[in-house]
Amino acid sequence: MPTTIDSVAAASADRWRRRSAHALADTVARRAIRQAGLVPADIDLLINAGLYHDRHLGEPALAALIQEDIGANPEDPHADGHGTFSFDVANGSCGMLTGLQIADGFLRAGTIGHALIVASDSRPGRRLAPGFPFGATGAAIVCGWRPEGHGIQDLRFTESATGDAMADPTGGLRATMGFADGRHRLEIVETPEFAAAAAAAAGEVAAKLLADHGLRPGDVELVGANPLTDAFLDALAARLGIDRSRMAAPRGRQAAHTAGLGLALVAAAPDGRLPETTALLVSAGAGPVAGAALLC
Amino acid sequence: MLTERSPDGDRAPFVARIAGVGRSLPPTHLTTDALMATTRHHTHIDLERLTGIHERRVSVGDEDSLSLAVGAARDCLARSGRRPEEIDLVVSCSITKYRDGLVQWVEPPMSLEVARAIGATHATTFDVSNACAGTLTGVLIANNWVRRGAIRRALVVSGEYISRVGTNGARHVRTIMSRELASLTLGDAGGAVLVERAEDTDGGIDLVGFTTVADHSRLCLAYPARAHAGARMFTKARAIHQAAIADTPTLLREAMDAAGVHIDEIDHVIPHQTSARAIRTGMRETTAALGAAPRNPAVVTVDRYGNTASTTHVVALVEELDAGRLRAGDRVALVALASGLEIGVALFTVDEGLEACRAHHDRLGRRGLG
Repeated sequence: MPTTIDSVAAASADRWRRRSAHALADTVARRAIRQAGLVPADIDLLINAGLYHDRHLGEPALAALIQEDIGANPEDPHADGHGTFSFDVANGSCGMLTGLQIADGFLRAGTIGHALIVASDSRPGRRLAPGFPFGATGAAIVCGWRPEGHGIQDLRFTESATGDAMADPTGGLRATMGFADGRHRLEIVETPEFAAAAAAAAGEVAAKLLADHGLRPGDVELVGANPLTDAFLDALAARLGIDRSRMAAPRGRQAAHTAGLGLALVAAAPDGRLPETTALLVSAGAGPVAGAALLC
Repeated sequence: MLTERSPDGDRAPFVARIAGVGRSLPPTHLTTDALMATTRHHTHIDLERLTGIHERRVSVGDEDSLSLAVGAARDCLARSGRRPEEIDLVVSCSITKYRDGLVQWVEPPMSLEVARAIGATHATTFDVSNACAGTLTGVLIANNWVRRGAIRRALVVSGEYISRVGTNGARHVRTIMSRELASLTLGDAGGAVLVERAEDTDGGIDLVGFTTVADHSRLCLAYPARAHAGARMFTKARAIHQAAIADTPTLLREAMDAAGVHIDEIDHVIPHQTSARAIRTGMRETTAALGAAPRNPAVVTVDRYGNTASTTHVVALVEELDAGRLRAGDRVALVALASGLEIGVALFTVDEGLEACRAHHDRLGRRGLG
């Protein structure tokens, strides 16, 4: 009884450098819905997992603005409509996978028919975020459900004690917005230890997931992983014993953040439809927090 | 409306219950009179008469979002008699994520810090952000996971150090029409809700439902202030109130029908606490539209605590529980209204375990620890 990934869409790199995260989110959301053969009103649940957007809006959830922009049941409730529910999640670069996990829960329970998970980041203003390390990238995933066949068989995350032994309680990545010298400033600090810590956490949760389903690393035909940096992907490949060539590595990936998982999937499925292979989705972020999903 | 009713067949065979609630309030009281005395302009606004807010609790630097969330989580565990290692999921749902003063943390997630601080070593963690509907959104997700059997126990927490928005608003409010007037209603608080699998079906969560009326998504916006620490918030309060009055009865009726519950079978309605006047007007209109009233007047705590953003429902639940007004068998409706426009309802029945959270707290109080 799996949740299906019906469509993925992504946008990134130079073409979008001047686009806001919000505009990117709208674009990829519309594209993913169209590719899935749906219309916006079919989306019951809209989750945004992006973190860095225009002026660092605190409320409402960016998901509500995206819902209005794409026209997913934005109107006042009426008798023959079912509405759309929108909210944001924040889980560092694991956000899209967290969104998938939440959507999977409502799809499995039969509460909803389709969910859209979207994530995008771009520099939230020149003054606010000088030296912003991430490029403008966005990605969206449309999920559905079917009683049997290819889909998400299992999805899990690390426990909070993961990384407790580390000297740095952030797992090597920290992003804060503070006020100093008369203005707010976003500060993102990533230490060289982050990639190894993230890969260790991700490798542990992914290896356990495979073992619990009686699979060996060689059985995995595709890995979509985030972060997309070489340091992380190399370390993860080594830990899992999976050939690096099976890890999706899209163009312009080094600058991706929360949208990285979507970018990886689009690299493996340029038409937006994932091949029905044994695939592993892996994400790791600050903390470290890591999660893995098995598709087969 | 996205609704989950319990029990609901093989795909969600379990029922979740509210097993505990807890809160954390800064000790400093700030009266509305004292706050209005700080406005830069002579506003001639009688905010207390307009909103019914006499005072709110505020951090004076002694608390931040994380400390309030952790305080509420510990209070919730103490009241419910649960150990942190028994928690499978911690969801943090606040708008503000201030640590170390007024530094907003974006990564790692706040939920991870809360889980580590309370010793919830086996919990997975993520943050939800949904304006003042954050906590009930967390409850919706926790309810789903528990009903499916994916987890046994979840802690939904929020810490709101949001009064700084009022400090900033006081610099700009000139008239009653100011879009920053609502900033002056805010107070600080932490809240926590423990959602766990019900072993019997005497109480528990009947239904959680939510929808986003996104045509009204831009009626309340908050972002970091340009020239001061903390954030500023801009609200079209009248437009929000009108949209809420227009939409809430339809959605409540849908939720009640789905749960098979009539409005006059509800003992306590706890709305989001924005102003006493808005709550009373809203209840009057809703009662007229639905043709019946709940058994008791809507719970109002905004007079004592102000609008504590995503924690208002929990602050009020603890208040009612401690006052002995929530008894086993009582049916409670928590009604969310938040920027988005998010409208949601959580309908649950108080069981003996939840009622006993108060007794436990009484024992703590007698030892001088409460």
